[in-house]
Amino acid sequence: MKRYVLVRLLFLVPTLFGALTLVFLLIHLIPGDPVEVMLGETAGAADKAELRRSLGLDRPLAEQYRDFLVGFAAGDLGRSLSEGAPVSAILRARLPATLELALCAMTAALLISFPLAIFAAARRGGWIDRAALLFSLLGLSLPNFWLGPLLMIVFAIQLGWAPVSGRGGLNYLVLPALTLGLGMAAILIRILRASLLHAMTEDYVQTARAKGLSERCVWLKHTLRNALISLVTIMSLQFGSLLAGSIITETIFSWPGVGRLTVQAIQMRDYPLVQGCVLVIALSYILVNFATDIVYKLVDPRVSYGK
Amino acid sequence: MTDLSKHAMVSQNSFARILLPSLRLVYFFTAGVFFLLTLAACRPSSPTAPADYLVVGIESYPLNLDPRYATDANAVRIGNLIYNSLLRADSHSRLEPELTERWSIIDPVTYDFQLRRGVKFSDGRPLTAADVKFTYESMLEAKNRSPRRAQLKPLKEIEALDDYRLRFHLTMPHAPFVEQFTQGIVRAGSGTGADSVELSPLGSGPFMLQAAESGEKVTLRRNPVYWDQPPPLPGVVFKIVPDALVRVLEFKKGDIDFMQNDIEPDLIPWLRTHTSADVGAYDGTTFQYIGINLTHPILRNLKVRQALACAIDRESLVRHLLKDVGTVAGGVLSPLNWAYDPSVRQWPYDPARAKRLLDEAGFPDPDGDGPLPRFKLSFKTTNVDLRRRIAEAVKEQLQQVGIELEIRSYEWGTFFSDIKKGNFHLYSLAWVGVLDPDILFQIFHSSSAPPDGDNRGHYSNPQVDRLLERGRAAVDPAERKRIYGEVQRLLADDLPYVPLWWWKNVIVKKPSVRNFVPYPDGDLISLKNVAVQP
Repeated sequence: MKRYVLVRLLFLVPTLFGALTLVFLLIHLIPGDPVEVMLGETAGAADKAELRRSLGLDRPLAEQYRDFLVGFAAGDLGRSLSEGAPVSAILRARLPATLELALCAMTAALLISFPLAIFAAARRGGWIDRAALLFSLLGLSLPNFWLGPLLMIVFAIQLGWAPVSGRGGLNYLVLPALTLGLGMAAILIRILRASLLHAMTEDYVQTARAKGLSERCVWLKHTLRNALISLVTIMSLQFGSLLAGSIITETIFSWPGVGRLTVQAIQMRDYPLVQGCVLVIALSYILVNFATDIVYKLVDPRVSYGK
Repeated sequence: MTDLSKHAMVSQNSFARILLPSLRLVYFFTAGVFFLLTLAACRPSSPTAPADYLVVGIESYPLNLDPRYATDANAVRIGNLIYNSLLRADSHSRLEPELTERWSIIDPVTYDFQLRRGVKFSDGRPLTAADVKFTYESMLEAKNRSPRRAQLKPLKEIEALDDYRLRFHLTMPHAPFVEQFTQGIVRAGSGTGADSVELSPLGSGPFMLQAAESGEKVTLRRNPVYWDQPPPLPGVVFKIVPDALVRVLEFKKGDIDFMQNDIEPDLIPWLRTHTSADVGAYDGTTFQYIGINLTHPILRNLKVRQALACAIDRESLVRHLLKDVGTVAGGVLSPLNWAYDPSVRQWPYDPARAKRLLDEAGFPDPDGDGPLPRFKLSFKTTNVDLRRRIAEAVKEQLQQVGIELEIRSYEWGTFFSDIKKGNFHLYSLAWVGVLDPDILFQIFHSSSAPPDGDNRGHYSNPQVDRLLERGRAAVDPAERKRIYGEVQRLLADDLPYVPLWWWKNVIVKKPSVRNFVPYPDGDLISLKNVAVQP
């Protein structure tokens, strides 16, 4: 396991390098010019050239890339072209909001999906099962840009239970977390229900029962535990994407997270900020995947990472 | 029933039997996690704004409040509440003294200013000629990278005659330079370089920066040493709500007190009927147009451009798509501008005439009312929903006269890059904050093709060029008005743009919000006089 952790940590370097290189190239290759965005329409050609020179944007791409890597290695992500502040400070300000929302959305999804999927598997074909499948279908079909305003109208405007948008205390988190969580729960219900049904027909469950183990033990130690493997995989992918920021939900709920920041940075052609955002997104995915592998081992002792 | 299915039945039943105690465990676990996570993650719940502060809903976070660097509309408007300028445009777009007691034009290249005494920055230090000189000179220095540097090009020198007297020397007569006297003044020695909103320098305006939370809100509080009548409001919160529908819902719930523009026209009737809002639409100067690439072999033909103008039913677009928050335009300068000429040629909707003009231009309809078009063009626009719907409507109208449009909508950066490069047939954009008619030089003078200006369609008319050059050199307002009247008439004949409309400024506010005066350019300076009366 230790060796595995070390190897995975070593893999971080080329993965990050690859992601940053790709983004550096893509953001410089797409049409648009940060100088045009910064200086506006009234600036003269000479001023634009001067700004381009002072920002180092007139130099060959390879040279800019080298400087970017050197800065990155020294822990300097540069300054945002549009906001003026250091990229690391902007990310520090935005990251807690994304983490809050991601954790709460994930928890909401688990709270909804776990009991529903277990009930559905236990009463296969019954009304709870059908209701869970219908819920799942709805959750997958309703886009967040529709569901978000709907929840706002019902819970914030009509019932007055929550604020409409913005970031503050717990009450501000409820609606965006539900909006994100409902869609994720829909997927988790299907995966967990199918895994449970599959595990129930496995030989080892029959064997465990034949050995005289209690149903509770059979279910907890053999059925649910085996069903969790596929759930953990899906959860990790979803959690990774949540940490990358949920652009639509963040925009609808005026949530100052990384997703909205990334879109804004791309629109402004704010190269250092885009690179900083992508760094956060890449790191999130890598760390979540890393954590997932460790959880696999905890859930299923048969999983082996060494020789 | 097979043995296997029996097994399945048995195991499902037993599964259900043991489920309840296990479910309790699952519930307790997840509820515990949820509780812990939310407790750990959540910040203390706080209201959006301190008591009695006015909450203004805006679409995007201001990028830089420093008036030497502010370029986006929100930064300029919020900055105007923090910083004063030598002159300030009033609600009729006339320049009036602000920091100035009196000013005079000594000759076409020399301007004298006598500053008000008793004006203080928000830290209590007096504002003097040295601060004004510093502000302009710091913008002129190339290393400071001010986006406004190009507009100060005619400025040769600023002379501080004493603590309260200044003299501006220009290199040549340049009438539109007076607009530069609306530049916000910062304290001498303020940091230069594009710093963040939080580090904006001190100003002498009615409000001062209290807090800025990136992407969330900007809070201003009353400047305790403001030199003029103190603002009735203790402060203003500019709350960032990117989605137009959500801004309206926030208003409905009472979390926003005031909004200006950036409201979907479709939501205005709803606001009028479902809320107690005071909704008003006031004439503005923002000009929406269709830009034309005059290097295109078809669009180079004047009759084709005239046909385009006749084929677009702007009255109907304004009525149905804009819900009357616009006024059909005849040119860049609106009737609110002192140089506006009402006698320019108009192009009312007349599809029959458009067809005749296209026939005369040598583009007959190949199959009468059949599906084949006379020719095809592309029409570029942004991916904003309303812009796309406008493009669809224009496409439909042009189809009626046999012109096929292919609509291409892009994200802003890509769209603007294409337009700057001249990579378009037709496109739609708006000119915001039109004040001095010299803007026509930047848009239509033949030397203003990108990257030196915004003549993106490469329009060239020597007569217009000469008039625009004379217009910026003339100092006498009456002469300038005559010159720009002539320019407007020539442009209305040549149609380098198809004028669409001037947007109205839509103000939505709670009835308790009093004394707000709308400005044609959307300036929010009158918030300094606003009071909230319960």
